[in-house]
Amino acid sequence: MTATNTDIVYVAGQSAPAKPSFLARNRHYVLLLPGVLWMLVFLVMPLLMMLYVSFWTQTTFAIHSTLTLKSWVTFFSSDTYVEALMRTLRIWLIVLGLTFAIGYPTALFIGQFVRDKTVQTILLVACVIPFWTSFLIRVLAWRPMLGREGAINIVLMKFGVISHPISQLLFTELSVIIGMVQIYVVFMVGPIAFMLARIDDSLIEAARDLGASPMTIFRRIIFPLSLPGVTVGAIFVSVMVLGEFATSAALSGRKVNLLGNIIVTQVGSLKWAFAAVAGVVLTVVMAAVIAGLLRLVDLRREL
Amino acid sequence: MHQLKGLRLVLAAYTALFIAFLYGPFVIMAILSFQQGPEGGPQFPIIAWSLFWYKHVLGIAPPSRVAPLPIGEALTRSLILAFATMVVSTILGTLTAQAFRRRFKGSSFVFYLIILGMMVPGVLLGLGMALVAEQAGIPRTWWGTAFVLHVVYTYPFCFLVMLAIFNRFDASVEEASWSLGVTPATTFRKITFPMIFPGVLSAMLFAFTLSYDEFPRTLFTAGSQVTIPIAIYGTFAVEIHPNLFAFGVLTTLFSFALLTIYGVLMALSVRRAAARSIGLQEEIA
Amino acid sequence: MMEIDGLAKAFDGVPALVDVALSVRNDEYLTLLGPSGSGKSTLLRLIAGLEQADAGKIRLDGADLTHAPAHLRGLGFVQQKYALFPTMSVADNIAFGLRHRRLAPVSDAAEVARRVARMIDLVGLAGLEGRQIGQLSGGQKQRVSLARTLVTEPKICLLDEPLGALDANLRERMTVELRRIREALGVTFLHVTGNEAEALAMGDRMVVLDAGRVLQVDSPATVYSAPATVRVARFVNAYNLLSGKSSGGRFRRGAHDLPLPPGVGDAAHYALRYDAVAIDEPAAALDDDRASLPATFIASEFLGSRVVYLFRLPDGAVMEVERHLSRFDPIVLRPDEPRRLSWAICDVLAFDAAGTLISNDRLGRAA
Repeated sequence: MTATNTDIVYVAGQSAPAKPSFLARNRHYVLLLPGVLWMLVFLVMPLLMMLYVSFWTQTTFAIHSTLTLKSWVTFFSSDTYVEALMRTLRIWLIVLGLTFAIGYPTALFIGQFVRDKTVQTILLVACVIPFWTSFLIRVLAWRPMLGREGAINIVLMKFGVISHPISQLLFTELSVIIGMVQIYVVFMVGPIAFMLARIDDSLIEAARDLGASPMTIFRRIIFPLSLPGVTVGAIFVSVMVLGEFATSAALSGRKVNLLGNIIVTQVGSLKWAFAAVAGVVLTVVMAAVIAGLLRLVDLRREL
Repeated sequence: MHQLKGLRLVLAAYTALFIAFLYGPFVIMAILSFQQGPEGGPQFPIIAWSLFWYKHVLGIAPPSRVAPLPIGEALTRSLILAFATMVVSTILGTLTAQAFRRRFKGSSFVFYLIILGMMVPGVLLGLGMALVAEQAGIPRTWWGTAFVLHVVYTYPFCFLVMLAIFNRFDASVEEASWSLGVTPATTFRKITFPMIFPGVLSAMLFAFTLSYDEFPRTLFTAGSQVTIPIAIYGTFAVEIHPNLFAFGVLTTLFSFALLTIYGVLMALSVRRAAARSIGLQEEIA
Repeated sequence: MMEIDGLAKAFDGVPALVDVALSVRNDEYLTLLGPSGSGKSTLLRLIAGLEQADAGKIRLDGADLTHAPAHLRGLGFVQQKYALFPTMSVADNIAFGLRHRRLAPVSDAAEVARRVARMIDLVGLAGLEGRQIGQLSGGQKQRVSLARTLVTEPKICLLDEPLGALDANLRERMTVELRRIREALGVTFLHVTGNEAEALAMGDRMVVLDAGRVLQVDSPATVYSAPATVRVARFVNAYNLLSGKSSGGRFRRGAHDLPLPPGVGDAAHYALRYDAVAIDEPAAALDDDRASLPATFIASEFLGSRVVYLFRLPDGAVMEVERHLSRFDPIVLRPDEPRRLSWAICDVLAFDAAGTLISNDRLGRAA
């Protein structure tokens, strides 16, 4: 690509180098270098640093690099932290289950019942459009929905379903779960709908010709074929829910603390070692979840 | 399956409900953004319809007890940051995807290393980067520590988009160009790039929007000069006012403007190709 | 003049080319025949610089090109699937190399237009200059692809199965066209094909490649009448091949033994051209200089100017007999009808156990 020295004119009597140049032979490594370097320095190094700092000594006002297990002991002997870990896992499982239960019928409709590609695309785009609003604004938008004087209470009271506004809707674990499900359910719908739309029609027709009932067709053909989509969706949702802290901060009035919130609080009070411990715990949980899900599906092929 | 009329109707109704669930909060928010101000709060009933909170966001409302949103400079920073992230991650993504067109040793390692960038929760990366910066004595800034993390986050998306584009790309076209005596660099510029341009545009769009809306990575790494999402996050602690809702509506409109630009660029690139060929036809005639 | 010497290439340890030597002359039409997997496309890509050789040398007019980048070789490469630039019109496709090549680009727009127009005339694309690639038929795309390469005046034009994607009718017309265009420009064509008829019809010389090795380089007439090995005879698709053992000047195959041409000793393969075999009555008398075998009729195929008859020998082998209607009237046979197939002994080609052609008196005279 550099003009002068590589541009040899191959005329009579003149000879090219005996071997292609180093750059020519390793062209793809040269192309990879910037990206790989970037990720090693700005992705891997910070994570290793976090692991390292989790063993540092934390005092009230400072931190120094004497290695100790104290922060780890503090973390696991503190009710607050262990509770936060358990709450994180509980909310993750609930949100994962709900996004699947709520998202699957929609995905089934888009992927199997809508045959027109244009309508399919329009429906999927309709699901994605809310993402054009800032994530934080979307979280905040649940406050006027769920509050004591929120839209849901007003509607329910108007129809006479309830006589007093339900106050448990906002600033509880429930509101955090509602908010997360609404924000993340699309990540479940997308991959499942994609897998369902890919199912060959002739397969289903053949099954019907063989006398299989719709329920059997769903159980034996459609559902198994959609499982890679479910897994990819579960990976997306898990990654995002496990690292959450904003939704709980906005919708729980600081009452529901997840591991993410612990990290934010500790960083805020410059307790770097505690934050790092919480970070490593979160990383381990995340790695276990993802590794488990990746066993079910080859991500590289599905993407 | 699609012959089951009854089930089909049920699922269609369910999907309609589902979409209402997705849009519900936003619609309520949009309605409340027209709340009367500055006394009206972020809840029903609407005291009176007004544009007060929009004026408030734009800084043209009369001063009141509600502090204006600190968005002026934050918006500029967010836009610059998103733009820089978009450029760098699209270039990195295209380079890497280009390398992945050949099989090479360690491709799985590189693939998962890159994908890790979008998998690792932002709060962990932000924490790790803050620790590195703290120990190395590097000041935390939105254009430094936050910027590199934004690229870590958006580069995998660009890479995947470009990988998909190159998967469908017919390499024999490039070989044809080299065989005509055209250098690989010129070939990339004149042949490959115009063919992958729609993909590049999508990658850029991805990177820009992800970066523009990014906050967990930015929270610990931006330092004192905040970006828009951090400014919004800052309001979580205090009482919220409908000015945030007005701001939400405005940013959504901004997003759609961006989407329109993307659409127009896409259409233009198609038309330009057509126009060019007509030009030469006249030249020869 | 291009010389290739000791060229070798393996993919993941599987050899694609083994020690290939070849010389390509100036101003000739060289066809390269090989079955799929023979390494013919690999050879072409090595010459074009699209793959790197593991060993060996490629020289063009004395300069070593073995590791030169593709864009500095001054060769043209016409791809099988055309590989036209989809974002450009026909004229822009053809002008692309002239405008953007590294060496001696043509910057004068009028000059580019002149050369492009000349090439468009030569390949018969007049009136289609402004078309987009998507609006062309397969034959037109082939012509654009050819014009795009030829307009850059390559020293050698490499063609990778250029007619492979065309239908039969078009293929025949392009055969004539390709030769005409080549002669008009005086450029060397190296045309790779898997079709023996194409290789025989088009080449001034032809190369037969199999399993990564060159089996024969000769004029099509020689390759056809005196294939160097049994494999070449098989690729040429014009010979009945019988294998057996020989002793005392006779070729033994099962219960039958057949006379060998004078001067042939140990033959392991016995080859008879389809059109050198006659169909006789079962009890017909046999001349001294002819050999014969009993056979039963299986089926026939009418091919316009000729008819192909298939017979089964007593040991189950199938013999093909081709009769040109300009010389014979078609005959009608019932399935399983017995006949006697006979041929002149001097028409027999014999190959030794290694598969190499054994020279005989007639071939000696021809050479």
